Amino acid sequence: MAPEIVFAAAPVKADALAVGLRPDLKTAQSWIAQALAGKHRFKGEEGDVLPILTPDGWFVAVGLDAEDDQDACSLRRVGSALFAELCDGGIEHLCLDMGLDMGLSPQDSAELAYGIALRAWRPSDKYRSKLDPDEAWSLSKITIVTSDVKAAQTYFARLDAVATGLRYARDLVVAPGNELTPQGFVTRLEELFPLGIQVEVLDAKALRKQGLNLLLAVGQGSTNPPLLAVLRWNGGKKNAAPLAFVGKGITFDTGGISIKDGEDMEEMKGDMGGAATVAGLMMALALRKAPVNAVGVLAIAENMPSGTATRPGDVVTGYNGTTVEIVDTDAEGRLALADALAWTAKQCEPSLMVDLATLTGAVEVALGKKRAGLFTASDKLAKRLMQAGEDEDELLWRLPLVDFYDEGIKSAAADLRNCSWDDLCPDHLQAARFLQHFVPKSLAWAHLDIAGLSEAGDDEDGDEPLTGPGPTGFGIRLLDRLADKG
Amino acid sequence: MKISFAKPSLPTEGALVVGVLEGRVLTASAAKADEASGGLLTRAMAASRFEGKKDQTLLLQAPAGLTVARLLLVGLGKPEKLTALTAQGLGGIVIAQLSNSTDAQVTVAVDGTADFAANVAYGALLRSYRFDKYRTKEKKEDKPSLKKLVVATEAHSEAKKAFVTLEAIAEGVFLTRDLASEPANIIYPESLAAEAKKLAALGLEVEVLGEKQMKKLGMGALLGVGQGSEKESQLVTLRWTGADDKEAAPVAFVGKGVTFDTGGICIKPAGGMEDMKWDMGGSAVVIGLMKALAARKAKVNVVGVVGLVENMPSGNAQRPGDVVTSMSGQTIEVINTDAEGRLVLADALWYCQQQFKPKAMIDLATLTGAIIISLGDHYAGLFSNDDTLSEQLSDAGKDVGELVWRLPLDEPYDKQIKSEIADMKNVGGREAGSITAAMFLKRFVKDTPWAHLDIAGVTWAKKDGPVTPKGATAFGVRLLDRLVAANYEQK
Repeated sequence: MAPEIVFAAAPVKADALAVGLRPDLKTAQSWIAQALAGKHRFKGEEGDVLPILTPDGWFVAVGLDAEDDQDACSLRRVGSALFAELCDGGIEHLCLDMGLDMGLSPQDSAELAYGIALRAWRPSDKYRSKLDPDEAWSLSKITIVTSDVKAAQTYFARLDAVATGLRYARDLVVAPGNELTPQGFVTRLEELFPLGIQVEVLDAKALRKQGLNLLLAVGQGSTNPPLLAVLRWNGGKKNAAPLAFVGKGITFDTGGISIKDGEDMEEMKGDMGGAATVAGLMMALALRKAPVNAVGVLAIAENMPSGTATRPGDVVTGYNGTTVEIVDTDAEGRLALADALAWTAKQCEPSLMVDLATLTGAVEVALGKKRAGLFTASDKLAKRLMQAGEDEDELLWRLPLVDFYDEGIKSAAADLRNCSWDDLCPDHLQAARFLQHFVPKSLAWAHLDIAGLSEAGDDEDGDEPLTGPGPTGFGIRLLDRLADKG
Repeated sequence: MKISFAKPSLPTEGALVVGVLEGRVLTASAAKADEASGGLLTRAMAASRFEGKKDQTLLLQAPAGLTVARLLLVGLGKPEKLTALTAQGLGGIVIAQLSNSTDAQVTVAVDGTADFAANVAYGALLRSYRFDKYRTKEKKEDKPSLKKLVVATEAHSEAKKAFVTLEAIAEGVFLTRDLASEPANIIYPESLAAEAKKLAALGLEVEVLGEKQMKKLGMGALLGVGQGSEKESQLVTLRWTGADDKEAAPVAFVGKGVTFDTGGICIKPAGGMEDMKWDMGGSAVVIGLMKALAARKAKVNVVGVVGLVENMPSGNAQRPGDVVTSMSGQTIEVINTDAEGRLVLADALWYCQQQFKPKAMIDLATLTGAIIISLGDHYAGLFSNDDTLSEQLSDAGKDVGELVWRLPLDEPYDKQIKSEIADMKNVGGREAGSITAAMFLKRFVKDTPWAHLDIAGVTWAKKDGPVTPKGATAFGVRLLDRLVAANYEQK
């Protein structure tokens, strides 16, 4: 369970008292400064956390970095580091008294709390029959002292909505493939009903009727049929064109007939990271009652080999009439997305459309796990997304989207083939171009290839500094900000 | 092939090339040919799909009413989009279509500016390159028939003048293509250094350091790469002092010159290994560029530094896990002996800064396979610590048709090259492979504005390009020549 976070006007009695320090180590608690000066690695830098046991109980020195370097993101990272350090050490109630001392505004305090809320997630206990008591979180309550409790609460409520959406998305990503089947995904979407989100599901029959054959082709090998889930949040002006967010939701990707190697294949339960981000984003928008109209479209399918599976070489006609030769059944995300994008553009008439997908390994070769690939023909949209990414510490890097890369997806049998077989081909650039063939030119559209970002690396350096190990919910914060800026 | 410029007049022999704008709009020369032939061009266009779109062609054999053997119509596209690149592309098409046609002479009738005409000739020249010295039995019909190209334009004397500079650049391009095309038993560190030395004839100062001198300078990183080979490693410096102020800080170009890269002890798979003869592509570009700048007497101070080694497995080769000390004093754990280019560049970059204190430094290297996956063969990867320099390179690339795409170069990626035993390791894993290679180089760059071009994807073309026959492209010579001309040269 995530800890309870409350704000107070004055310090309360707790198991531990945390105080903030900057690199000058100046603080009202002068004995701490003296104890630390020159004798310890603690330098008051961002992320430094040092618990000290005193006769009066635990004191925790927390590095805030220099005031000039402090911004919303750095405060969030401080909150995150603090939670990571103290969550399982035995402290149950922590009082964070740094607002007044360090000149933190109520808004700053809310950002600290947000960092804690973002870090305080882990896979549900329901997947274990026995819990190791040493691994359980002891920290269950955090009281943050601030000059204006009401203001801090208001700021935090806005941020906590996003944190809640993020936790929801991360739960979806870690859910195993036998639980989160396409229908299992729909069941989880029921959690959005009470928030005022309308959920429409196009089942396989509806998909066939409407001609989303590429999405159907991806799912046809599985006994769990594919579907398209449409989430609508209408918080804006009536009839205003919505913002559209489209997510790749392959609940498990075996590769199909072009089956993957066995090693690490279990990670493919996370191949619905894009759809999870969209669902989490919609939850965040609804929770904070965002004054926008937004539609989230999830292209959901399970990619399995079987007697009914798509064969390499099959030619399939997509929703917009484009024919595709499927040469590699493991390049399935772009097929599912192609129909979802074309459908969304036509049926929802959005003012702009952003899709997210754990689409290619090539984007990880290009950008690693620090930035997601951004593809768009619109310089304006690129700028807005890059800026939102900078502001939210979810970094993007724009990569080329030019017709030159059509070369690799030319087919001898159809309008397009779904990928090239060249080992060294820029698959992420070709995939982005592939998608572009399914999006009307007049619509401002961006594609985010989040294959490297959807989950943090498993080495110690791989942890995302804010959200920690595991799924990151990448994209929710940045798209929430994009929606916020209208 | 001899290139000349002449007054416009319809030729009586060989082939004639005329341009047509989009919408079947005849240029003046095309109209003249149409009139002379009693409307042949108009009829031919009406009977074909040729509409004058850019790069469309229509070849008419033995055109009735004209005395030439062949008439080639080339689409120029929209008139408002005519650029130097259109002109070069036109020249390239002429060669692609007519160099084997049996015609010895072709006349290209151009109705543009002198600059446009010069660029037509330039494009034709660039496209006419062949590396055929090792073909001893090529049949006559496989060799180009074309001996003479005449560009006909009103502004023929200005065009001729403008072409002098372009021809100088082409000479540099050809040298680069030759060096990259040569097999590794011909071009190895010492023989490549000898090729560089030949440029002294153009007024370049060329200095060659051997292993002994490099050892004295402490270039342990570079020397480690070459230690498995029988061939002696070399470091070559080429200086061109063309500015009025001979003491002015130069612009520096640094090139990776692994004359053959087997991978060393971390040996590469055999399939396609012959491509590794052009793993000295960066150094070839630097040498060709220096030739171009000297040949056109560029008013600028420039220095080129190339690190030349051969990476071979042997009883004396560098082992994975070896720790070497670079000239900068920083230590490197060599995890993978096939990530050798960055080791060579580390010392070459450091030496360049120590020795010449350049005002800007650009290195080129066929550095990573990851860049081929990242950007394909359409863009070179650009990494830089300087936004202005990046924009200058990006603009120059667009001007000459050698495109670069900037990729990130910052702290978060630095962790990947942390070593357990030394200051850094020479590989950072599969993810962001080109970025971590660039981050490695960055550790050997001081405050100098610097850019690194990873040209592994663009150095060798599998297909013909507009002005580049398949094979060695010399990508970078024209780009950097333009960079210098536009930003560093005295006007």
